[in-house]
Amino acid sequence: MRYATSRSIEVLPTPVQGVVNTIIDWIPLGIVVLVWELVSGGIVATDVLPAPATVGAEIVELFVSGEVFSHLFISLFRVGVGLGLSILVGVLLGVGMARSDPVENFFDIFLSMTYPIPKTALVPLAILWLGVGTKTAILIVFLACLLPIVLNAYNAAENVDQNLVWAAQMMGTDERSILYKIVFPATIPEIMTGVRQAVPIAFIALVSAELIASNAGMGYLILTSGQIGNYPTMFANIVIISAVAFVAVRAFEEARGRLLVWT
Amino acid sequence: MDVTADANRGLDLSRFVEIGKSVYSLVILLVLWEVVGQLGLIHYYFLPPLSDILIRFAELTLSGEMLFNAYLTLQRALIGLAIASVLGVIVGVLSARNDIVDWFFDPIIKIGYPVPIISLIPVFMLWFGIGDISKIIMVAVGTFWPVAVNARESTRQVETNLIWSAQMMGTSDRRLLWRVVMPAALPGILTGFQIAMPLSLIITFVFEMVAGGGGLGALEIQGVRSFESAQVYAAIIAIMLIGIGLDRILRFARGRLLHWT
Repeated sequence: MRYATSRSIEVLPTPVQGVVNTIIDWIPLGIVVLVWELVSGGIVATDVLPAPATVGAEIVELFVSGEVFSHLFISLFRVGVGLGLSILVGVLLGVGMARSDPVENFFDIFLSMTYPIPKTALVPLAILWLGVGTKTAILIVFLACLLPIVLNAYNAAENVDQNLVWAAQMMGTDERSILYKIVFPATIPEIMTGVRQAVPIAFIALVSAELIASNAGMGYLILTSGQIGNYPTMFANIVIISAVAFVAVRAFEEARGRLLVWT
Repeated sequence: MDVTADANRGLDLSRFVEIGKSVYSLVILLVLWEVVGQLGLIHYYFLPPLSDILIRFAELTLSGEMLFNAYLTLQRALIGLAIASVLGVIVGVLSARNDIVDWFFDPIIKIGYPVPIISLIPVFMLWFGIGDISKIIMVAVGTFWPVAVNARESTRQVETNLIWSAQMMGTSDRRLLWRVVMPAALPGILTGFQIAMPLSLIITFVFEMVAGGGGLGALEIQGVRSFESAQVYAAIIAIMLIGIGLDRILRFARGRLLHWT
């Protein structure tokens, strides 16, 4: 389609072509929204499927009244702390396991045993230990994000160009500096890949924990507004948390592009 | 003869040492768990002794309760996954092969893929209720995206030389799809299934925890609500076994299907 259209709009000036192409690219989404708008209130009751306009107005309302901010900040705090901890622990563990056999022997079995457990299945256990609330959500986000980061850090540290290490050793660099100056920087690109995989997982883990065990946060808001039958609010909050997750991924990719200038 | 026998024994010994090295930490942890539990250093509610958990696991299994709940969970996850696999592969392969299909689905995938699918559970409860159908549709919707995206990417990357050679020899479009494109894209499609499989379990467990209706997730959360922590741990053991089992099956199937790679 793109080829056909770009040929027929070649007569237009380049900036206009870009705009027209973007519009053509996003028409299907417009169709979906239009069908949604028509179906809502027509074929399906507005209760069951509020029209996009209603949901849009509700989103604006939630932001203007400031109602959403407290829950949104709680959710962001949980994701941030959980993800931050998993990066810290995951990188140390991954690099440690790659560089030292005793560390690998000790932790390997735990990682391969917890790998096939869906981490959200641990929410009830986290409730047992930590109760309902922020700590439980942070623990689940942390556990869910840990493995992709450990695996990527491990593979990266395992495959550090040995010539770099030898070159440094030859010039008399001690073990400690080799770790900080060579191994860690060399692993950063792959660690970033691990974090990129972990960000969407973090949001799934967050919402799961908040749906099952929470008294605040976006997941809690979605569940409770559904339970009291306030469906426009429920849909509005789903759109908001999805947008936040989407922006988080894009922002991270942007930041990665800026950070990894040397690759 | 003696020499080879000795060499073999030496080999076995070093194998044992290797295995010992890799499992000793787990053994220490499990023993510590049992000791701490028996001595009551940590409250029973938080950490029952391992033996109690295993006994509870055996009880639940022998009474059939565990198997029945596992059956409910697996049924929901796997039917949903099967629906998503069929639709996802069709949409993914068609988008890669056909510009109009791609034009339609590309923005939808771009918007749909990043949605934390779990947040739609209340919506599905509203639309389809809390029964099996609702859970199966939810799993199908949630696992559709990784399957479709992986099918699309791997089909796009099929070498054009393969397609050209087949076309040059007069292969019809239909045969081209089944004999050339699909086999060449199969590794990527299977990767999509491998990503979707744990996701199908995640969605099923969380839905069961939120909405009930039986299944291992419901069994687990019921253990929390009735303060029976041994049941929570026992359910997690079952979940772990299912996770390992499905992972193994997929890997085995991958090895079998891709023996030509």
